[in-house]
Amino acid sequence: MGKIIKSVVCPICGCLCDDLEITVENNEIVKMKNGCAVCEAKMVHGYKSEERILEPHIRKNGKLVPVSMDEAICKAAQILTDAKYPLLFGWTSSSSETQHVGVELAEELGGALDNCCSVCHGPSVMAIQEIGIPTATLGQIRHRADLIVYWACDPWSSHPRHVERYTAFTEGRFEKSEFKGYVQKLKAQASQKKVALTMRRTQVRYQQADSQAATVEAPPQSLIRAGRKMVVFDVRKTMTADVADYFVKVEPNKDYEIFGAMRCLALDQELDVDVVGGVPVEYLREIVNVMVNAEFGAIFFGLGLTQSVGRFRNVEIAIALTRDLNRKTKFVVSPMRGHFNVTGANTVFAWQTGYPFALDFSQGYPQYNPGEFTANDLLRRGDNDATLVISADPGAHFPKSSVKNMLKHPLITINPDWNAISRLGDVVFPAQWCGIEQAGTAYRMDSIAISLKKVVEAPKGVPTDEEIIRQILEKVRVIKAQKTEKVEKLDDFGNKNIAGGN
Amino acid sequence: MITLTPKRIFDVPIQAACISVDVFTGKSVEEIKNLLITEGKETITLGDAFNVIEDSTIEMPTVVLTGDFSKVKRVGQGMKTGEIIINGDAGMHTGEKLAGGKIVINGNSGGWTGCEMKKGLIEIHGNSGDYTASTYRGTSTGMKGGLIIIDGDVGTNVGCYLQGGTIKIKGSAGRYLGYHMSDGTIYVEKDCASRAGAFMIGGKIIVNGVMELMMPTFTIDGIKPKVKIDANQNAQGPFYVFLGDLAEHGTGKIFVLKATNSALATYEKFL
Amino acid sequence: MTEILIKNGFVFDPTNKIDGQKMDIAIKDGRIVKKVNECNAQIIDASGLTVMAGGVDLHSHIAGSEVNLGRMLRPDDHVKDAVRKTALTRSGTGYSIPSTYVTGYRYSKMGYTSVMNPSMAAMKAKHAHEELNDIPLIDKASFTLLGDWWFALENIAKDDLDECARHIAWMIRATRSYAIKIVNPGGLESWGFGRNVHSLDDQVPNFGLTPRDIIKGLAKVNTMLNMPHTIHLHTNNLGIPGNYKTTIETMQALESFYKGDKPVGHITHIQFSSFAGDNWAHFKSGAAEIANYLNAHNHMTIDIGQVTFADTTTMTADGPFEFSLYELGGHNKWVNSDVETEASGGIIPFEFKRKNAVNAIQWSIGLELSLMVKDPWKVFMTTDHPNGGPFYHYPRVFAWLYSRKAREATLKNCNKKAQKKSLLPTLDREYTLYELAIITRAGTAKALGLKDKGHLGIGAEADVAIYDINPETTDIAQNYKPVRRAFGNAIYTIKDGEIVVKDKEIVAVRPGRTIWLDVQTKEPCRIDDELKSKFKKYWTIEFDNYPVTDHYIKVPEKIGIKASV
Repeated sequence: MGKIIKSVVCPICGCLCDDLEITVENNEIVKMKNGCAVCEAKMVHGYKSEERILEPHIRKNGKLVPVSMDEAICKAAQILTDAKYPLLFGWTSSSSETQHVGVELAEELGGALDNCCSVCHGPSVMAIQEIGIPTATLGQIRHRADLIVYWACDPWSSHPRHVERYTAFTEGRFEKSEFKGYVQKLKAQASQKKVALTMRRTQVRYQQADSQAATVEAPPQSLIRAGRKMVVFDVRKTMTADVADYFVKVEPNKDYEIFGAMRCLALDQELDVDVVGGVPVEYLREIVNVMVNAEFGAIFFGLGLTQSVGRFRNVEIAIALTRDLNRKTKFVVSPMRGHFNVTGANTVFAWQTGYPFALDFSQGYPQYNPGEFTANDLLRRGDNDATLVISADPGAHFPKSSVKNMLKHPLITINPDWNAISRLGDVVFPAQWCGIEQAGTAYRMDSIAISLKKVVEAPKGVPTDEEIIRQILEKVRVIKAQKTEKVEKLDDFGNKNIAGGN
Repeated sequence: MITLTPKRIFDVPIQAACISVDVFTGKSVEEIKNLLITEGKETITLGDAFNVIEDSTIEMPTVVLTGDFSKVKRVGQGMKTGEIIINGDAGMHTGEKLAGGKIVINGNSGGWTGCEMKKGLIEIHGNSGDYTASTYRGTSTGMKGGLIIIDGDVGTNVGCYLQGGTIKIKGSAGRYLGYHMSDGTIYVEKDCASRAGAFMIGGKIIVNGVMELMMPTFTIDGIKPKVKIDANQNAQGPFYVFLGDLAEHGTGKIFVLKATNSALATYEKFL
Repeated sequence: MTEILIKNGFVFDPTNKIDGQKMDIAIKDGRIVKKVNECNAQIIDASGLTVMAGGVDLHSHIAGSEVNLGRMLRPDDHVKDAVRKTALTRSGTGYSIPSTYVTGYRYSKMGYTSVMNPSMAAMKAKHAHEELNDIPLIDKASFTLLGDWWFALENIAKDDLDECARHIAWMIRATRSYAIKIVNPGGLESWGFGRNVHSLDDQVPNFGLTPRDIIKGLAKVNTMLNMPHTIHLHTNNLGIPGNYKTTIETMQALESFYKGDKPVGHITHIQFSSFAGDNWAHFKSGAAEIANYLNAHNHMTIDIGQVTFADTTTMTADGPFEFSLYELGGHNKWVNSDVETEASGGIIPFEFKRKNAVNAIQWSIGLELSLMVKDPWKVFMTTDHPNGGPFYHYPRVFAWLYSRKAREATLKNCNKKAQKKSLLPTLDREYTLYELAIITRAGTAKALGLKDKGHLGIGAEADVAIYDINPETTDIAQNYKPVRRAFGNAIYTIKDGEIVVKDKEIVAVRPGRTIWLDVQTKEPCRIDDELKSKFKKYWTIEFDNYPVTDHYIKVPEKIGIKASV
């Protein structure tokens, strides 16, 4: 019999479900209860990867060879201190404790510091900086929301328990779960499908007629009923859309126009156009009416807004709509944050520096400017001359031009397994899986801090990434102290020391 | 006249707000060479990075930068008088918060050029990056006055939160032109991408080429034969006049040339 | 540990009735002692200088989810005020919501050594503590928002105050907090559906009780738990013209709890709750009414929440208030952040302007209150940082209090209408240094029940501030400017017996402690399956993952409290 650990936190997505029951046998997770399929894939199988990095490596003569931890730390610290402008990127799959030391390291190095949010929900943060945000913790939505809008996101696939734990299928104090209704709908759909299949067999034309029908259906009557309603806006019919009461198919890259039109409609303005972004204005008017009549509405949006044309402006106008709706009823809006601790990275960076990402310390104080100091923009322009990547894989996810520039200069990586970026590194560190082998803090998508648990021991000799960053920081300080000593010696010979300042 | 030429190719960004007529005035070449700038995290002197030559026979332009300055940021920051000519590409934040004087860029210019500028003139004889004549994150006060002329194309978010002054773009403009502007004029000689004038509450945008897509939050107000760009230039129409942004109860105006925008003819039925 | 002897300073220590006498203060092992061996001790020559205990701020939003959201919201604010890294100190940014390290440094430079973080949503307590760990040089404690917590509301509605007290004791422990904070009681719960309560006797939807019930219930619970501080109350109707009536009613509601020994309630940033007039056009000061009430009663203390005319950021758990403020117009950003079953929150960047009639009257109200309430042990100095202005504007407020001339100079530049309405020209009172010491350290420490803070008696914590003010040679009211400057830049700040500021510069950095109450009830809160399942119903976090663990507090100072229930 294995040991059962309760209330374990899932270190995968921004939902941070904390009700997992994990069975551990011989320092191995063998069973997981309550979690979703994604969670099972990582917690039960994925973390045991055969591709695990078990010791530090340094690239010598073009080949990665195993070295001692000390040697790797020295090498990494030397690279970072020698660089005029190093970039430290990643952080979102690390604990807040690691991120905390990371800011100190970046400050000590005078480099650029960015986290993965610049390629996911950074635009959401930028939008908040422009206009603010009316938002709420997920429980508030669970207890009160009778209208849930998922816009350009597919939680059924990306945050599988979001609907079940926080929105439509959860029992709140004032609003009840719609799960039963969903099951009934599924049954009805199944029989409808059977009918359709028979029809198709007998009538070939039926299918053609169907495909020519309007891409957006009119809002169904069911949107007016009491109880929770779910509406999905997306460019394609997703799994979440199948669950929803109403799906609105949006023309790609036209979200902004639709939001704009909805804002006007919420203000009872008349529009000169009949169709916006592929959706008839009449339908939009009905949806806006449903929104205004809701007791408590919630909009969740995903990368479909933040990474399509318009980026942070899309989020900004979504927030503007939510804000306008608050004049008539209660409405909140919330980003569907991806990595389990990307919110934490924003939070930790912000309390130490005032800024959530896209930081630069080259002037001795924090500077902030997405577009200038964001990792991809820096790399694309080739501005930095050394890179440290921690708990992220830009090798797999960044554009070729960025990676190409990254590889022109030394690259240090800290990751648990041999992902694309680790294979490209010049100094490669192993690391523990945060939330499985390492405890720590993570921030849920609604910035609630939750303690991750350690459930199994890491392989021997594999340190936490926090330890590695801390050691690099110490080494960097030693090297810098040696350098200033040299400068001071020069001073004795009468040379002027102009560097320094205050 | 002081001439600066880079001594080498820079591989990391240089921050050099001290390259400004205000700062150079009254300083000897030696003093100018000893001004501190940063190259990445390293503090160096201007003389470490640039050759500084003085030609006392020429008074104007006061400062000439020759070579690739695309990695040199904040040239002419907050400058009040004098003239800088950049013969080559200029970096980010060139002429930010400009309060007077003139900056001429004979090349392309980086993002945030002329950001939050108050007075003066910037001429860009090339393309200009995103957020030209715009503002910084979270700030709702943009360019307040002065003139920016761009011969080439501009990126996105140009003229955000514009509060005054004129932006003349002789090429095409990217998305979110004149976003949230409250006053001032933006003139685009060629095409304009979608979402121009979103959230605008005042001022005018004139598009002489093709307007990719009008925001649905604008309503047609009429047709005008011509429109004034500034004191010495008019644009010949006829133009469709749109009013908005309705969602902000705005009274901004977008003038779109009728001849090049047949797609907008559907709006004529409301006139 | 080093010994320190501060010689010949003018000591202002109201707790021990020392009013500017020249005397020596001896420090050993982090405490004030009777004497030290002069040969071993480090001698600080304080002749011609003013010596006070380290400042104790009773209400300043320095950490937590709300504050940090404010930080994230305002890059435009930080860019005005970047702070460089030094060999000793970390970099950071200001202006209205300084980053954590900068907060610690700036407080210390003003001679403050303890700061209360007055608004912590229980669910976000871990976050608050993580940030507090990063604020060096000052001791901190947090007040948990409990006025709209469902468990409390339900138990008060059932009139089961014993059970309510046990739950609250559990919560104070679970969140590592120091006091009960009540914000717009009933209003935050109503705000869950976009509504608000408008009087003490409005019904809170779905819970069958009124704000009055909540205030009285929690005040009772507070005494049952023997809490060192009173309930810390942000009134209903805050920020609405005419609200001084609600404020007086609130104070009246607590009269019956007074036993004649110590106050039973504290109304915070009362300036925002002392508005008279029916609407914004007829807006005027209700300070006189409030002050009269306070002069006639001894069961309440207040802090003022002074406006300092700054481009600042307002933030409060009072979500509905922030929304109504936003609706007044002129703001570019609005944040609302509701917390399930507990609280809400709102943030708006706000510039208080001299030329704005309402803002100028607000400025006047704060000062009127401070001057008209006769007993300085009842009224304390705050700006409700960052709401009225950033905390490092305190010296400005001091100057307005100790110098009529300073007040006149500012009033002269205010809105004309506000000048006419202001009561300040009729007020001659000028605070003495002794009284200033009360409203900034002695009184606040007493109100908080922190016995070892705010004074320089034997056994007190060795938190000392030394300012370049010579009360013998300077008329502070006339020469208010140098004195103001002196208060902003302590010559020395000593924290726990270590010199951390010397000659106005940080010379040592040490972490401050986080003070929390370990409230033990006679019968502990029943943690059975029923409670756990209720917990699961109410929150989206598991019961086991809810409490703040020791991991989150770097330097804890646990104070054990025995409750009488």
